[in-house]
Order: sequence, then C-alpha cells, then structure tokens
Amino acid sequence: MNNGLAGTTLRVNLTTGEIKRFPTDEKLFRRWHGGRGVIAKLLYDEVPRNADPFGPENIFIVNVGIMSGCYIPSGSKTEFGSISPLTNGHGDSNMGGHLGPMLKFAGYDMLIFTGISPKPVFLYIDNDTVELRDAAKYWGIGSLDCEEQLKKDLGEDFEIATIGPAGENGVLFSCITHDFGRQAGRTGQGTVMGSKKLKAIAVRGNRSILVHDLEALKKQVAEIIQRTKKHPNMEPWQKYGTSFFIRWSNDNAVLPAYNFKTTYYEDVGKIDGDQLIEHCLITHKACFGCWMNCGKYTKAVVEGRPVVHLEGPEYETAATCGSNLGMKDINHVAYINWMMDNLGMDSMSGGGVTAFAMECFEKGFITKEDLEGYTLKWGSLDDVEHFLDMVVHKRGIGEWFAGGSKRAAEKIGKGSEKFAMQVKGQEMSGYDGRWAPGMLLSYMTADIGAHHNRSWTITVDMAEGRESVEGRAKIVVYLQHIRPLFDTWCICRLFWGELDISPEEIVESLNHITGWGITVDEALRTSEMIWNLTRCHYLERNRDIGRVFDYPPARSWEEKIPSGPGKGKGVTKEQVEKMLDEYYEARGWDENGNPTREVLVDLELDFAADNLEKIGFLGKPIPGGVPPIRGEKYKPKAF
Amino acid sequence: MVIYLKAGSKLRERLKPDIDYYTRRIETEEGKTIKEILADIGINPALVAFVYTSGKVKGLHYIPSDGQSITLQPPVAGG
Ligand code: SF4
Repeated sequence: MNNGLAGTTLRVNLTTGEIKRFPTDEKLFRRWHGGRGVIAKLLYDEVPRNADPFGPENIFIVNVGIMSGCYIPSGSKTEFGSISPLTNGHGDSNMGGHLGPMLKFAGYDMLIFTGISPKPVFLYIDNDTVELRDAAKYWGIGSLDCEEQLKKDLGEDFEIATIGPAGENGVLFSCITHDFGRQAGRTGQGTVMGSKKLKAIAVRGNRSILVHDLEALKKQVAEIIQRTKKHPNMEPWQKYGTSFFIRWSNDNAVLPAYNFKTTYYEDVGKIDGDQLIEHCLITHKACFGCWMNCGKYTKAVVEGRPVVHLEGPEYETAATCGSNLGMKDINHVAYINWMMDNLGMDSMSGGGVTAFAMECFEKGFITKEDLEGYTLKWGSLDDVEHFLDMVVHKRGIGEWFAGGSKRAAEKIGKGSEKFAMQVKGQEMSGYDGRWAPGMLLSYMTADIGAHHNRSWTITVDMAEGRESVEGRAKIVVYLQHIRPLFDTWCICRLFWGELDISPEEIVESLNHITGWGITVDEALRTSEMIWNLTRCHYLERNRDIGRVFDYPPARSWEEKIPSGPGKGKGVTKEQVEKMLDEYYEARGWDENGNPTREVLVDLELDFAADNLEKIGFLGKPIPGGVPPIRGEKYKPKAF
Repeated sequence: MVIYLKAGSKLRERLKPDIDYYTRRIETEEGKTIKEILADIGINPALVAFVYTSGKVKGLHYIPSDGQSITLQPPVAGG
C-alpha cells in the first residue's frame, strides 16, 4: 500500500476475546478520508439506533487516519469514536502525542472494539503480536499512574493510552489519556472504554509507512520546515503555548468566569500564562513530528499536598478550571488539571460541571448536607477536590453530576437548567458566546455538543461586528467543514493553521501521500458529507426535529454580561432564532433543522435520506432547491 | 522613531508588510503604546492577543523604543 495506510485493521471482540485481522478497507478511507470520517460511517452503519452507549452493541473505534505518522509536520493525531454516552449521538475526540503514529508503525490503521469484556483487560500490540491481557493490576488506578506502571512493566518504548477511575465508574465525561498529558477529552470516549472494561492500549512497532510520492513529499516538507522556522508565531508558541491567550480573552469579554455568569475575571493575573511559566513550567513538550512544541510539562506545588506533574494547564483548562471556578492561584489550577487528568475526566466538561455545582451551592440548590459536610465555594481547592471525589465515585449527589450538568440540572430542578452551560449534554469550552454570536452558534450547532474545535469564530465576530448576527451562519458552516478535516486526516490544526500553511498545501501533502489527486473543494465536500451524516445519525437516535437540540441554555440570551469590558452586552432570543434560521438555510436543511433529501442526495447520502424519511424527520423540500453555495464558496473575507 | 512590526497568519494581511514577507517598518512617536500604534495604522488592537519582543511576552500597553522589532501574536482557539 503506497498511500499512507499501514494496511491492517483489527476487530477485537471483547466479549469473546477474539481478535481478527482484515486488510484496511482502502475504498472506505478514500471515500471518508479516515479519522472522523471513517468513524462517522462505521458508527452509522454498525451501531443499532436503539443501542445503549454502555451496551455491547456500541462499538469503540481508534482510527489513525491517512496522514498521522507520515513524513509531514505534526502528523500526530489519533481519533477515537463511539456513540457518546454524554450526547447520545455520534461521538469523536482526538489527541496528539505519539500513539497514532506508533499504531501505524506496528501495522494498524484502525482498531474496532465490540462487545464487553468479562474482566478488565488491556490491548497489547507489539508489531504482529496482538493480545488482550489481564488488567486487574491496573484497574482502579489513575490514568497517569497507569501509564507509568505499564511503561515500567512493558518497556519505555511502548506508547500507551489509558482511562482513569472516572471511565471505569461510568462518569459520562471521561477521557482517554496518553503521553502523561494528552487527552481525547470530549464526548465521553473514556466512558465507553470503561464500559467495555478496556483499561488501556499499549503499542510498539517498527515498520515504515509507504507513500505515493516520497520525493515530492520530502521536497514539500523541506520547504515547509525552512518557512515555518522563520514564521513570527513559531517562537512565542514554542515558549508559551496557548496559556497566554487567557488575558486576551478577559480583555475582550469572552473568558468564562464563575460558571459563565460573567466574562470578566478580576484575578486573571493570578492564573495567566506568566504565572504558569514562572511557577509551574518544567520543560516544553511536542507531539510526533512537531517542532512547535506547544505542550508545557509542569508541576503543581500546593502546600499540604504532594508535588504533582502534568501537562498544562493549556488555555481551555485554565479557563474552564481556573476563572470559571474562581481559582486564584495558578498552582491550584494546575492541581485541579492534574486531578482531572489522573481521575480520567475531560477538564472542559469537568470544569463546567464543577462550576455548575458551585453556582447551585451559591444559590442554595445544593447544601453542605448534600456535600457530606463540605462547602463548594468559588476558588476553594479543598472543596473542588472533595466534590470531584464524590463525582468519580458517584457518592450521593456526585452521581447526578457524574452525568454532566444537563442531567444534574434535571435532578436539581429549580430552573437550574438555565445555567447548565452545555449543548446536547456536552459542556461548553473556554469561551462565552454572548458577545461573540458566531461562537454561540458554533456551540449550538456542533455535531458533538458544545465544543470549540468544530468552529471558532471569535476574531471573525470582532472583525464583522459583535452586535450583529448577520452572516454569521455562513461563516460557521465554512468553519465546520474546514476545521474537522484536521480530525479526519489526523494532523494538528494548530501547526498547520497558525503557521500559514494553506489548505491547498495540506491537500498537496495529502495527494503526495495518497496519490488521490483531489482538490480543496473535494475535501470540503467530504467534510460536508460527514457533517450531514452525523446530523442524520443524531436525529435517528434522538427522534425529534433537529432544532430542539440546537439551543444553548437560557443564560445565553436572558442574562446580559454583568461586568468588565462586555458589560451590558449579549444576544437576544430573537437573534438566537435568526442565527438558527440562517444556519439551516445555509446548510440546505429545512426550518426545523432537518436535512432535506435534496442535500443528502447531492452528497450521495441517499440511504440517510431514506432512513430519516422512515422515522418522519426528513426535512421538507426547500422551495427553489438546494443552495448551491454551501462550503468553500462561503469562505469569508477574514480567511 | 522607527519600529519594526512583524505578523504572520491572519494578521499579516492587515499589517501590510513592506520590508520582508512578515515585517513592516513603522515611523511613530516615542512614548506611544503598541495599542495606540496599532490604532494609528488601522489595525483593531482586539485582533492582537499579545506582542513578543526580545524573547518575552508583553501586553498591548507596552511602549517600544527606537529600532525595536516586535511580533504581533493573533489570538487562537486553545487545544
Ligand atoms: S502544535 Fe502542539 S498540539 Fe499540535 S502537534 Fe505540535 S505540540 Fe502537538
């Protein structure tokens, strides 16, 4: 195979312990481009619509995509997918590090796990040796501790992905951890691993990956190396990573503080990038094939607690577990980051759920009695530590919060759903969209619930006018096509995006690797196809019109920003509705947010149109036909 | 006095470099902050997250001196 693929797919039946090898389906990869695309198609085809995400019929997929592990910059990503227990829809999440490349070096493009193991196991791969091994010794220990132990037991040269106690215990926002600090955090992929009693994956390999035109690829990459070395963004990224953007977010009224009550954090100077570099940084860290090394390996030093080591906090965690919890010391934020990592919780959802609980405590909706005698006050590390312990072990009301803020609000009632800051069950990332309407729309319409990586529009909102929602939908549609391509090809968006490597150049690399000879337009069309398929899948599983799933919590329009540079700003409910109308129109869906047959047929998804029609959620035909300008032609000036 | 502003990615187009691919020579007055200088040349300061000079990050209230070279860093979504 001279196309970037390693050649073999493994199917692991965890119920029976049977492991089967198949030649990787090249046609499937060609059509869906690997990573998120292949995952979307397999989940759609193989998981029955009524399957319980915790049940044996849910499948768990590890997909390394086409470009990961190849001779290109930052070909480091691994994509995970299964039906999300958090959103009950298509779920995918990815991480950097070295796992994906190593899987390819061992000969594997994809691992597909089915069933449920009768006892805890881990998958051991050493080139051709593939075994399910007993994980009793590792079950119950933290993600980071487990990785360390497995490296001691198997060898330093194994790349390892683990889950923590959160995943084992069914906390719905559990993550997968690798390389002592890289996480596939979103959509509860660690939860699904835990439900299958799969504690870890350990892999070692030493084979080569063959590509279509190595000489052309080498020439192109050599040029990119020389160019990016001189790029003005390179040195600041290498030194500081993403943590420095927190002050900018605060100055520009998008930083969530105190469970998204406001966008101004008065103590931002205590948790920002300066503090991280001064008090916590040990060294810089990079993923496979990357010289941008945005990872910051750090320590958290908190009196009365052991010194702990971690990667981060990067921007998202500094926001969701820092300002959003009212923390006033970077070491405390780093300590919370470490706790979440070792417990195996997504720090974005973990921060969002904790902030929601803090506000419930402040309002008297939960009490000291509910919290086993503890309080849950803004800025208290002791309180957060105790609360997370209740959540991870599902003790008392900890069980409510282990289901995420949406489910916890359903238990608590009293109007708390208005400030459970999530969409489709998944907590928002580290940006408030009230005065960045495109960002709010990005959260509302993301196929996996509120997550920034599908579309991030804040600078576009600033450039186009923050008071207006006009035209934002088309920008969001464009971004929802271009950005997920990185998760499809399994390369890092930060490296390629921030160092001025154009989409045309990325596609050129892809062509050198695969020999496909495709254009950016074709890639965007594939991304649109994937987006429509995950939407259909969501509707087929959740059986309602699409629009009902696309609203943010009422705080987003009922409460104006109360303090700081954004004081008094915020969208209205009418603007939220208008953005949804424009978004559906831009996608060629009907006003209920249901995909129409015209668009699905245009994208060769006739089978999905038939399935939606059978259950009564196919969109009504659009008067005048399908809009011809979806995708690339929506490319806004700002890009 | 003269300073040299550098920018890549989306900011580069707004900066309109004239010395090399990334750099623009700016004549300005002593004592002005970066924020003021950006406003003078028609760049919305909100589109700059921070500046980077001599290996250090500085805020937009930083006051540059004659001959200094300064990189403008655009904001970006976290990982
Ligand atoms: S830019 Fe950062 S996240 Fe991306 S590959 Fe490099 S080190 Fe990893």
